[in-house]
Amino acid sequence: MTDLYAATDVPLRDNLREAHATSLQMIAAPGSHWTGAERVAIAEETRIAQDCPLCAERKAALSPFSVSGEHAATDTLPAAAVDAVRRLATDPGRLTRQWFESIVEVLGAPKYVELVSVANSMIIIDSQHRAAGLPPPALPAAQPGEPDGAVNEGAVDRGAWVPISAGEDTVSATGLPGVPNIVRSMGLVPGAVALFFNTFRPHYALKDIALDISQAQAEFVASRVSAHNECFY
Amino acid sequence: MLLGASSQQEGNTVDLRGVTDKGVVTGVEHEGALSDLVEALLDGDADLERARRRASAIMGEQKCADALTVACAFNGITRVADATGIPLDESTAAATVEMRAETAIDAFDYGNKSARLGV
Repeated sequence: MTDLYAATDVPLRDNLREAHATSLQMIAAPGSHWTGAERVAIAEETRIAQDCPLCAERKAALSPFSVSGEHAATDTLPAAAVDAVRRLATDPGRLTRQWFESIVEVLGAPKYVELVSVANSMIIIDSQHRAAGLPPPALPAAQPGEPDGAVNEGAVDRGAWVPISAGEDTVSATGLPGVPNIVRSMGLVPGAVALFFNTFRPHYALKDIALDISQAQAEFVASRVSAHNECFY
Repeated sequence: MLLGASSQQEGNTVDLRGVTDKGVVTGVEHEGALSDLVEALLDGDADLERARRRASAIMGEQKCADALTVACAFNGITRVADATGIPLDESTAAATVEMRAETAIDAFDYGNKSARLGV
């Protein structure tokens, strides 16, 4: 499998290199609710967002919803999907439930959840490239085929904007949840969970982190990123 | 919450206000270098290479790379949380009332955003 990070001297773990190469191939394949071409287009929109004048204007405004203008549909994606990805990429801390409902009214929750997984997997991979001093990797060629339509019929309403995976509310010895809501958050679409956590897993663990930094240092970094992105969770 | 718990397990106490207030020292080893790395990664115009060299000199190349690896992950997963509006886990919510008040994190609560942002 291609090593996306072959050109860097930054010491990255082998499991991360392998996982990201796999994730790019997963993005290119048909998902459950988007085709491969649509998934690659979602990934590409996370990059286009960085130079989008409307996104910049919204980001600079006191409220992003006070700025007039809309993102247009592309040849591959409906306007609602373009808007969702671009806001997610540039101003995630100011997404609102009312905005979410307007998007889901068009896309439906399963498509939205899969979009969130693809976009954020790409954001992690591109962030890691920047961290390694590399340009973003080439987007993969979309694979043919149709979405399989898979939905987790057992997903439940737990107060999130979308139905999430059911599960026991166990609490570990440290007082932390056994399976945190974030792990269940995309549980409506099993393929979305598989893609995102294939990308995420080599980066972090809730305990006994397999990195040279301590768990407390990892949590400090995580907390600083969360604060920067104005993430409540 | 996780920062507090992991620090306790490592035999340390931290001042969680430092998460949202850079003027407060949390007590985590190399926190200045770690903060600089995070800021340089997330600010698209920043000189990340310079921040990485500086952090590597302080904490070593592998630790610096590992810190950035964690930051990259959370640059993605925080957006998953924001996009799905997931509530705090019950045990976390109950255990973090004081901490959330201290750090002013409740200002980011998903339930308040529509009113705060006018939609």
